Amino acid sequence: MTDVRVGIADMRVAKAPALLVAHGLGSCIGIALYDPELCLGGMAHTLLPYQRAGTGPFRVGKFVDSAIEAMLAELEARGAVRQRLWAKIFGGATMFRSPLHPEDDGIGVRNTRAAREILDVFGIPLVAEDIGGHHGRSVEFDLATGCIQIRSLRQHETVVTL
Amino acid sequence: MTLEQLTEQQLDMLKELSNIGMGHAATALSQMLDQTVMLRVPRVTVADLAEVPRLLGGAERQVVGITLRLLGEARGHILLLFPRASAEHLLQQLSGQSEPGAELDEMAVSTLCEVGNILSSAYLSAMGNLLEMVLIPSVPLLASDMAGAVVDRLLIELGQSEDLTLVVETEFHDLGPESSAVTGHFFLIPEPAALAAIFAALDRGKT
Repeated sequence: MTDVRVGIADMRVAKAPALLVAHGLGSCIGIALYDPELCLGGMAHTLLPYQRAGTGPFRVGKFVDSAIEAMLAELEARGAVRQRLWAKIFGGATMFRSPLHPEDDGIGVRNTRAAREILDVFGIPLVAEDIGGHHGRSVEFDLATGCIQIRSLRQHETVVTL
Repeated sequence: MTLEQLTEQQLDMLKELSNIGMGHAATALSQMLDQTVMLRVPRVTVADLAEVPRLLGGAERQVVGITLRLLGEARGHILLLFPRASAEHLLQQLSGQSEPGAELDEMAVSTLCEVGNILSSAYLSAMGNLLEMVLIPSVPLLASDMAGAVVDRLLIELGQSEDLTLVVETEFHDLGPESSAVTGHFFLIPEPAALAAIFAALDRGKT
């Protein structure tokens, strides 16, 4: 099995038996797309919701919109069929709680909203999510099964499976 | 001002500036701990956003981060990072209270935020005096979690404008026994416009 690291502002596509791995997501949002027929999937670790017109060259994995677009293109180029794809999203936490704005509509929330909107535009069903809260997440996406394991450091180390 | 244009001399100026600021912060910390606090030579790195967690020893390393916004004539961010064990030693020495591995309670959070406040204020007032600039720290905020998750909020703010980030980093540690040593990293992350303002102020100082 090979681990494919997905760093910050990064996007990777891989096939089973590989694992796609992202460490320490906070307010960033992770997006996984998967074609179960081919055991082919992609993962992005994005920072911001939408790219802005007129900004210079940037990494495609930096924005939710450009990352999903690029991931979809690469998956389809490798034979994935859009109608078969599903999506899972994770992250979008509020890491620094402010006493002045306890329920801040922060960047994590905006990233999550953007991911849902864009997946909807492309007609990709969002089948599971582990979103929000005030904790970081480390993620392992097993391309053989489509299962995503999420670890966090709350009180005791906890594992969520999507 | 883009980061690629920085000269060797400008990078040295930033290091020196940070050294002076950090010297004052270290004095404050050593008075709090009643211990000598040593500083490493600052590193000025133009880091790719994606590399920042690696500078901190890996995205999954458990840390306590205290962040303040830098307000006033130069804007940016300050991030003070302690490995989790160091934060516990610090709490132990300041308040006599700290349970290894336990969730930080309100008192612990407020104590560590205050440490962040004192160190940042010392750093900024020394730097402000030198630059003849008014530099004000915002209210500190704290997060205790994986390093990657703690820094990504900052990367997001910086990532709005550029893929590259200028980080002025100083590592410090006290000379206490190893079992209760306090080490930490102090980061100054100026916004691009702030860098231009800082260099302009330094140039004014020379003439």
